[in-house]
Amino acid sequence: MSKKLLAASGIAVYAFLYLPLVVVVAYSFNNSKLNAEWVGFTWHWYRVLLSDDIMLKAAGNSLLIALTASLASTVLGTMAGYALYRYKLKLLPVLVMAPLAIPEILVGVSLLIFFVAINLTLGLLSIMLSHIAFCIGFVAIVVRSRLSGMDESLPEAARDLGATPFQAFRLVTLPLIAPGIIAGALLAFTLSIDDFVITFFTAGVGASTLPLQIYSMIKIAVTPEVNAISTLLMLLTLFLIVVASRLSPDSIRGR
Amino acid sequence: MSRLLCLLCLVAMPALAADELHLYNWNNYIAPETVDRFEAYCKCKVIQDYYSDNEELLAKLAAGAKGYDILVPTGNALASLVRQGALLPLDKKLIPNLKNVNPAYLNTPFDPGNRYSVPYAYTVTLIGYNVEKMRQLGLPTDTWAVIFEPKYLARVKGRVTVLDSQRELMAAALKYLGYSANDTVEAHWYRAEQLILRAKPYWAAFNSSSYIKELTVGNIWLVHGYSNDMFQAQNDAKAAKRKFTIGFSIPKEGAVLALDNMVIHKDAPRPDLAHKFINFMLDGRNSSELTNMIGSGNPNLAALKYINPKIASNPAIFPGKEELGKLEMLQDLNMEQRRVLNRLWIKIKIE
Amino acid sequence: MAKHLGKWLISGPPVLYLIVFFVIPTCIMVLASFRYAGEYGGLAPVLLHDTSGAHLNLTLESYHEFFSDFIYSWLFIKTLVYALVTTFCCLLMAYPLALLIARSASKYRDLLVLLVILPFWSNFLIRIYAWMILLGPQSAFSAALNGFLGIFGVGPVRLLFTPFAVVLCLIYVQLPFMVLPLYANLEKHDPALLDAAQDLGANAWQRFWRVTFPLSLPGIYAGIALVFVPVLGIFAVPDILGGTRGIMIGNLIKQEFLEARDWPFGSALSIMLTIGAMIIVGGAALFAGRRRNGDV
Repeated sequence: MSKKLLAASGIAVYAFLYLPLVVVVAYSFNNSKLNAEWVGFTWHWYRVLLSDDIMLKAAGNSLLIALTASLASTVLGTMAGYALYRYKLKLLPVLVMAPLAIPEILVGVSLLIFFVAINLTLGLLSIMLSHIAFCIGFVAIVVRSRLSGMDESLPEAARDLGATPFQAFRLVTLPLIAPGIIAGALLAFTLSIDDFVITFFTAGVGASTLPLQIYSMIKIAVTPEVNAISTLLMLLTLFLIVVASRLSPDSIRGR
Repeated sequence: MSRLLCLLCLVAMPALAADELHLYNWNNYIAPETVDRFEAYCKCKVIQDYYSDNEELLAKLAAGAKGYDILVPTGNALASLVRQGALLPLDKKLIPNLKNVNPAYLNTPFDPGNRYSVPYAYTVTLIGYNVEKMRQLGLPTDTWAVIFEPKYLARVKGRVTVLDSQRELMAAALKYLGYSANDTVEAHWYRAEQLILRAKPYWAAFNSSSYIKELTVGNIWLVHGYSNDMFQAQNDAKAAKRKFTIGFSIPKEGAVLALDNMVIHKDAPRPDLAHKFINFMLDGRNSSELTNMIGSGNPNLAALKYINPKIASNPAIFPGKEELGKLEMLQDLNMEQRRVLNRLWIKIKIE
Repeated sequence: MAKHLGKWLISGPPVLYLIVFFVIPTCIMVLASFRYAGEYGGLAPVLLHDTSGAHLNLTLESYHEFFSDFIYSWLFIKTLVYALVTTFCCLLMAYPLALLIARSASKYRDLLVLLVILPFWSNFLIRIYAWMILLGPQSAFSAALNGFLGIFGVGPVRLLFTPFAVVLCLIYVQLPFMVLPLYANLEKHDPALLDAAQDLGANAWQRFWRVTFPLSLPGIYAGIALVFVPVLGIFAVPDILGGTRGIMIGNLIKQEFLEARDWPFGSALSIMLTIGAMIIVGGAALFAGRRRNGDV
């Protein structure tokens, strides 16, 4: 009985998650300039989107930044998560948690002033560096949470059997925490692709991302073109992930 | 790998930046045809970045962001930029089309003698409404009272939005009370605050962005907003074949006129292209395209013959002499005044 | 020696990165909260040069302003309440979902996790706009709700532009940040423990409450940390959906940086917010730690 209840409540939450999404996707086919009520079906907005260079470039930038930032922050975040778990450092927990605690707008403004002070030209690079900074913490927390439930005896057994600490980590610990790392990577990617506040302050001339582009359209009209690109972006990301998981060896997928 | 690519791009950028004009403008504030024509004319590329509020522009520049050639600040933001010394003086010899501009819009207190700026377009902050609903409810549409007086508001409770802007809402309240929009006497500000707080329970939201949509869809019947937004709402409602029409008018007590200007940033990479662009935009036909697209007011006399007559004859977009006398441009406030206003605004928002 | 080398090799790079791109900029802003605001916005110079030499141009006026008027603290408390409600609801909703995914057949797990995150690769703003449609007076949901309430003679309620809309959207926006850490933790629970409990006579509820739940606490804490603290600083959701009463402290901070151009005060507010958040989270962690050690 409780299994059915669990399944039912899980599905209810999924429904909650997808309800606005259904609206977003459905309205991308809406034959009306406004995102307000359903009028009729059309492919028009997808056609508009494909000829809208500015929007496409912004979407491309967003993807590029998200991929780079999530990769770098996953590596650094995993290291941080492991260090948090293994070594009782006093500094690291504060350092890792702090970016999450501080309002994004403060982080954004401070990074802007910092980049200008060190004379770094604002652009895609400045956005990437900013994203990595706030993603590390998220990845570290997820990885650490996974590690703290891991059975210590397994890597220890590997050490007893003659493996070096590094080998024990690579061949035993890493596969065990792999789902945590992947969850962290997904989280970082999501954060980066959707970030608005920090990107707003650290973006430079000509380096627009999708959230910035959409925000600048709010005043005039959030036409269904925005719905169209949101839909396409989701599909594209889904496609990339499916391809990546097909190509990666099974051990990383936690089997 | 992609990091390396980025670094390479950054190095190569100065070489590529040769024939690009960086325009930092409000979104949807230049017609795409105009941009295309300019690109063909100057054989260069126009890179656009957008902001949706003067404050964003000022914040970015205050933190030291650079790389922009042309900016389009409104009057009070222009004053701030001039005082900070952030702008390049214009070389009038390169912009002969300046003679096309209506003298009424030149020589503003923000930039006497137009040393740094040239008028681009203007909007009026006024009242927009659902014509049929206002008639049905017997509400006046030519006075700020309909936004501030409970006796009127009671009939449209929850169907009114006002701008989410300290300066604009205060200005409307001050004008309604009979003061100048630029009045800085604290006692007057407190009176305005009381007026706003009394009306607030009837308002649905402070909204500066999606009120066009809400008005066009019919969720909201009365808005405090900008003339070009109302123009768009009017067209959208017609295009969607709604059973109601949208109207907009300047209240009789007066309103705020926002004049946007083209300026060149002092660190502009291509001031020569920037001057070319300004002169190009001052040409009558080029200037008219924006007005025809979004219904913005146009300070360019040579543009009048290219403007759609329905727009040109609309007194809310092109106010006549009498209305013009009641319109005011907002001046920038000093630090102390901004603090006081800000505290008032917080109280208004939280109450 | 090798152990120490390992420690520095592993913790070094992230620490270094965070020091350069986080600590230093933050220190700049902490300093900023003690500076005067620039005449036209931004910040006034730290050192003033005049005939008697250079002296520090610092002040406590921003903090004085914060403590001089209760409305700032009141706004913080209001934001806190919103954040607590949001976090609690997120936990209630995320737990069954994470449990469901963790207990499913392993070949479906990746897909199910992906399905949780997928909506969040659309765009933040467009999802809020979707909620505007769903909660608007003309939506099917509103109409149905009001029809239902009409049966009891209760007048039509407005869903949009209310605190309810704000909290609902906050929950929606933060949900995956609660699901993912919970899932990462629940997934590695050893099923053998539950079998053992069942053999010892525990029923389903007891198995959950006395085996699963305690083991999942680290995941819960992680989820709470990822939801509660960021919600405190959010401004976009109350901006769009909050109507005339729904503002949070994040809106005020944004206003200080943009409209008021009072960066020192914006920094001071942010710092007070951060300190408050850390006290709360630190206090909760301390309490949880003592409870685990059997003190409480």
